[in-house]
Amino acid sequence: MTAQPDASPPAPVDVSLGIGKLIVPSLIGGLVALTLGIYGGLHHPAGVVVSIPGFTSAGYVKSWLATIATVFAIVQVISALVMYGKIPRVTAPSWIGTLHQWSGRIAFLVAVPVAINCLYGLGFQTYSTRVLLHSLFGCAFFGAFTIKMLILPKRGLPGWTLPLAGAVVFTLLIGIWFTSAFWFFSTFGLHH
Amino acid sequence: MKPNMPLVTLLAGAALGVGVLIASILSPSSAASASGYGATPAASATGAVKPAPASSAPGGAGGASGAAPATTSASTPGTVPASTPGTAPATAPGTVPTATASVPKADVPPKADYVARTDSGGAAVAISVHAGKAVAYMCNGHAVAAWLRGTAKAGKLELTGKNGARLDVSYRTGKATGSIMADGTKYAFSAPLVHGGSSGHRPPGLYEATAMVHGVPIKAGWVVLPGGGQVGSVEYFPGSDIAPTAQAPVLDLTTGTAQYDGVTLVASLISGLTGSGF
Repeated sequence: MTAQPDASPPAPVDVSLGIGKLIVPSLIGGLVALTLGIYGGLHHPAGVVVSIPGFTSAGYVKSWLATIATVFAIVQVISALVMYGKIPRVTAPSWIGTLHQWSGRIAFLVAVPVAINCLYGLGFQTYSTRVLLHSLFGCAFFGAFTIKMLILPKRGLPGWTLPLAGAVVFTLLIGIWFTSAFWFFSTFGLHH
Repeated sequence: MKPNMPLVTLLAGAALGVGVLIASILSPSSAASASGYGATPAASATGAVKPAPASSAPGGAGGASGAAPATTSASTPGTVPASTPGTAPATAPGTVPTATASVPKADVPPKADYVARTDSGGAAVAISVHAGKAVAYMCNGHAVAAWLRGTAKAGKLELTGKNGARLDVSYRTGKATGSIMADGTKYAFSAPLVHGGSSGHRPPGLYEATAMVHGVPIKAGWVVLPGGGQVGSVEYFPGSDIAPTAQAPVLDLTTGTAQYDGVTLVASLISGLTGSGF
């Protein structure tokens, strides 16, 4: 945002100041997404992933972890809607903030090993639409999540920023899940 | 001062990621990562490859080879010629179970190769048995492909592969009969014994090729049927459990090669008769 000429009243300047706080987090988030994508593109995929007892294959481990992350992400959206008072006749209980924070932390921490496995074992690939979308969504997700975490403690931001950031993060995760775990389960069967 | 919890979350995630990455790098299994990188940069030929005639035959009633299109109709179980195969690898002819008619039905060959289309589903299966071990491959030329291994005992094969693939077959000198479970679907088949090919051509049987394409490891498999029909698939990341599968390019049976995305694939025969590829 550049400075407005004299004609503009003070109020928009405040908004632009608030939006200005988004610049650094956005740059860092973009850097995170780019770093993951470039690493995934340059690193020679190992093709091999660590196997975990109790699962038929690493593909199932990843698919189930991704599904767990997605379930917690759905909890994220519901708890956020409750916090913002968007669900009629539901008043936010005192623990809703804690639920939102912890479901988010768990979803993120569960998603991290999956992402590392993807980047290290398979890399950023483009050989089919599903794979290309998955690669893009995956990198963008961690960039968007970084942005959201960095703007979370900031005060004075426009009210729409956090819901927008949360919606983007959630949408990307759902996209990731459909292009990976959903495809995997529907191709190889729903078991572990 | 109150800790910046979102930042803590981010840093915890980053630390976890670095930890998992180091664990993956140190994992002994990742040593398998690709010799032969630096693959030929591909020409922009993506998608130009035409399919093998395989997929046009969803099969139906009747014997496996009988359900195949005209190209494969030359082979009928039991009529395999007993003459020495032209391009077949040079084993001692005495060890080859050639004359189907002259041996008892219950005879179990120690070395044999079977090839057939499945009764339905437009797929094909190849099985190679060599000295108590067996390798099988099935694919439909599209999304389904499975490599299976196991032991051969008393005319029975119970082979397993990734993602629940399983083959149950009883085999005799004349043919191998049974079913294969791949990708959640069961395919039945009756596969005649095959060997030999016409002069100047690679014999029918099971072929494989591995290569690096766009920096991605791939493994191609072809079931080459008597008469020249073939069904082939390409698996990406064959070493991993997630192996997306695509249509294989046509395998040129005079050169034993195929072109895939600008890379030349050199196919090798997996033969029960000679033990090559075991």
